[in-house]
Amino acid sequence: MLRTKTVKYMNKFNLIFVFLLVAYHPVIHAAPMSFKGSTTSMSQVSKDYFSIESSYASSIEDSFGAKAIRAKGNGYKTKLGEIFYLRKLMRINAAKSQTNLWLFTGVGFIDIKKNNTKEHHIYLSPTIQFDYETKRIYGMISHQILRAGHENFDTTKIEGGFSFYEAGYTQIQPWFILKTKNINNLNNEIKYTPTLRLINKSIFIDAGVSMDGDPVFHFMYTF
Amino acid sequence: MKKIILLMVIISLSGQSYGLTQKIEVLGMVCAFCAQGIEKNFRATDNVDDVFVSLENYFVAIESKDGLDNKFIKEVINDAGYDVQKIEIFPITVNQIRIENE
Repeated sequence: MLRTKTVKYMNKFNLIFVFLLVAYHPVIHAAPMSFKGSTTSMSQVSKDYFSIESSYASSIEDSFGAKAIRAKGNGYKTKLGEIFYLRKLMRINAAKSQTNLWLFTGVGFIDIKKNNTKEHHIYLSPTIQFDYETKRIYGMISHQILRAGHENFDTTKIEGGFSFYEAGYTQIQPWFILKTKNINNLNNEIKYTPTLRLINKSIFIDAGVSMDGDPVFHFMYTF
Repeated sequence: MKKIILLMVIISLSGQSYGLTQKIEVLGMVCAFCAQGIEKNFRATDNVDDVFVSLENYFVAIESKDGLDNKFIKEVINDAGYDVQKIEIFPITVNQIRIENE
C-alpha cells in the first residue's frame, strides 16, 4: 500500500519536474531569442498540436536550437524533428518600442500519415517573422515555408493584442492577445484563439481557447 | 560639480558610505522579460552592489564601489539586445531611486 502511494507520488513528482523543465524559458515577450549566452526553451500544448523546443543564443543576433512537433488535422498526422538556426536580421530599439525581423532556417525530418499511407521526408524550412511591441501593444506576423514531397504545410501566424495596464518590473502585467494561425493541409480554415497572458519578472502564463473549442496553454518560469 | 559636492555633503551628514550610482537610459526596454538579462548580467559583475530596473521610465540604475566603465555598460546593454541612450552619474543611492520610483 505504502509502496503504491510512493510510486504514485513519485510519478506526480516526475510529471511536475518534466513540466517545469519544459517550461524553463528565459524568454522575452515578442522575440524568439533572449540575451547573449541564454538558453530559451518553450512548449505549446493544444488538442491537435504539441511542440517543444530549446535554443542557445551564442550572440545577440545568432541562436541555435532543436525542436519537435506533433500535429494533426484534416486526416493528417505529422511528426517533425528539426534543428534550426535563428538570425536576427534587424532590431530597431526606439525610446518606447522595439521592432524585430527574424529569419529561422530549419532542417529536419517529417513523418506524415494520411489514411493508410505513410511518408517520410527530409525538409529545409525557412520562416520569416516580424514583430513590434511597446509596453501596451504587441503585434507579430510570421510565415513558414514547409514542403515535404508533394505536401504543403506552410504556416502563417498573426498575433496582436494589448495590455490592460502598464506594470512595473516586478509586477504582474495582464495582456489580451488574439492569435490567428493557419497550417496548410492541417487546417481547413484559419484558427482564432483569444488568449489571456499574464507575465511578470519570472512567470509567464498564456491560456486561451480557440473559437472551435481547442484549449491552448503555456506556463513558463524563468530560473 | 554641484552634484559631486551635494553627494559629499550627503555622505558626510549621514555618516554612511555610498558607492557610485549610474543611471542608464535604455532604448527598447519594454517588458520585464527583456530587462531580466540586463539585471542578471549587472548583478553578476564584480563591485556592483545594487541594480534597479524601471520599466515605467525606461532606465537602469547601478550602484557600484567605483562606478562601471561606460564602454562596459554599453556592452552589457547591447548583449541584452538594447541600446544606451544616456549614462549619468547620480548623487543618490539605488535604493533611494527605487523608493522614488516604486
